[in-house]
Amino acid sequence: MNNIPERVSRCFANVFPDLREEEIQRASTTSLATWDSLAHVTLLSAIAEEFALPFELEDFEELVSYPLIVDHLENKARHA
Amino acid sequence: MTLNQALAIINSGKDRGGENKLHYLVCGFEPLHLKTLFWAHLFERLPKGNVEVHNGVYGDLPGNLAMAAESPAIAAAVVVEWSDIDSRLGLRSSGGWLEEVKPDILSTAQQRYSHIETALLNVARRMPAVIVPPSLPLLPIGNTVGAQASVMELELEQQLASFLLRISRVPGLRIVQRSRIEQIPVADRLDAKMELLAGFPYTVPFADVLAGSLADVLYQAAPKKGLITDLDDTLWSGVVGEVGTERVSWDQEHHTQTNGLYQQMLGHLASCGVLLAACSKNEISTVESALAREDLFLKADSIFPVCANWEPKSQSVAEILRTWNIGADAVVFVDDSSMELDEVKRVFPRITCRQFPGKDATKVWQLLCELRDLFGKPLLMEEDRLRQASIRASTRIHEVGESAGFPEFLRSLNGTITLDWRLDASEKRPLELINKTNQFNLNGLRISEGEWQRFLEDQNTELAVVSYQDKFGPLGKIAVVLGTKTNGIVKVSHWVMSCRAFSRRLEYHILNRLFRRADTEEIQFAFQATDRNEPLQKFFRDAGIRQDPEGTYRLSRTAFLAQREALPHKELNITK
Repeated sequence: MNNIPERVSRCFANVFPDLREEEIQRASTTSLATWDSLAHVTLLSAIAEEFALPFELEDFEELVSYPLIVDHLENKARHA
Repeated sequence: MTLNQALAIINSGKDRGGENKLHYLVCGFEPLHLKTLFWAHLFERLPKGNVEVHNGVYGDLPGNLAMAAESPAIAAAVVVEWSDIDSRLGLRSSGGWLEEVKPDILSTAQQRYSHIETALLNVARRMPAVIVPPSLPLLPIGNTVGAQASVMELELEQQLASFLLRISRVPGLRIVQRSRIEQIPVADRLDAKMELLAGFPYTVPFADVLAGSLADVLYQAAPKKGLITDLDDTLWSGVVGEVGTERVSWDQEHHTQTNGLYQQMLGHLASCGVLLAACSKNEISTVESALAREDLFLKADSIFPVCANWEPKSQSVAEILRTWNIGADAVVFVDDSSMELDEVKRVFPRITCRQFPGKDATKVWQLLCELRDLFGKPLLMEEDRLRQASIRASTRIHEVGESAGFPEFLRSLNGTITLDWRLDASEKRPLELINKTNQFNLNGLRISEGEWQRFLEDQNTELAVVSYQDKFGPLGKIAVVLGTKTNGIVKVSHWVMSCRAFSRRLEYHILNRLFRRADTEEIQFAFQATDRNEPLQKFFRDAGIRQDPEGTYRLSRTAFLAQREALPHKELNITK
């Protein structure tokens, strides 16, 4: 899995097209009003599609910010 | 299309601006990715204006159908799942899967289909709707092994088939072909995790197939109007000029059934109103003799005209297009020779050329399926049946009319023009005319079915659907004029007339009646020149309709009456 932050950013931009790059990197469910439950499922589905990597049900509860998602994917890549 | 591609298409499409084309996605589950993918497919098919997709609430398919029917949407996409038929058939229900509840599920399903059917009828009154029948696997609750169908599964399928058959007969309702969605195996359709997590039951690839199918059925390409076929080694096997009339074949005995299949397909297309013509490098007498064979699978008189000569085939194609009075872009040319196809394509770049694959049965099958797609339309109309005969009549009128004095000749036709002023939403022919006519067309603007129904709901709308018949037979409904009347002035937004009705001065009758019915002194026209509407432009010049300094095309009653010649036909008006 290469260029993880860049590819995650692209998925964020698809789901939240109004965010600037620096806002994407700080984005979380608590800081972003448009990041509701539907956007959350759409975002994680878009990321799962981008990395061909399914998320588990508990991931949907835990991956609630850009840094957490990038960390999660980098961790997966290290253990792949 | 992937989910990320769909999101990117929607984000770039949102900047388009322009008229908003609202669609309603109706389902009982959470629409989630299906909505995203459907939205993106609509953006791809509707190149102008903005597109929006609305949806209803979770778990209430009939209620969502009611909301769609009340909405200003121009079209609805309805996706039915087993859980909409009975919630106990969904993964999110806890209603129990006991053997004894099965009769109750079957009984409930019957009532539910009835409710959905009623709600769909209300939607169809206001907009076109495309329906996807349940496509997920049924719950694994049969008493049989999975390889054996259970009685309950078969009963549910039977109820579904009966429901689909009933609604398929309702104008405006279209059912997605199940074989189209069966390209994704049943096992790859259900996303059980996403269903339990978010109430969305489909895998993304399957949701994409559903979304694409919905958009394909809703926004179909304009059907082709005519097919020009080669004869030797295409309509039949063999070169008739060499082997003789009796030795060309299309049968099992000679292993030439592929030509017989092609003949049957052409016969079917002709019976659905498709124009057929033959184009062959042959002596005309030889061809006529072969076409007279009684074992031909299509009626020889369904092929008109038959062009047989030794000139380049593009010359025959040009003659056929003149006779039909349609553009090359509405025509398919089939020939076994790639050289002939290339020659025709170079002269008529917009014609659709297909090579007849000879004895290769697989490729012939593919060709027949492609012909279905090229000529298919949602609804057959009376005018489809009349088309071939009226083209023959037009040819006869031109032949006789050119030798006779034209005004006297038109009067001798004993023609009757009927103008129907009723706003009838169940009548689909006017919209078809507006959306496929190019030559006598005020501006080339097309209207979706939903927009058409909004026009009919507007009390200021003036609409005339024009039919014509004379001693050569009926032409059916051949013209539409649509406009609004405000402050005593009629503004015509759409005016089309079939090329089959040209040269009869029907356009003067239409204006004459429009002035009288609207009791107006002036008609304004939303005219725009297109690269195809020269016949209408010529009529505007002849009738003295010109652009004023403000840029509006106007015709006053005084000017119209001053230059109008005697009208040759009897007029009938239908208002109630």
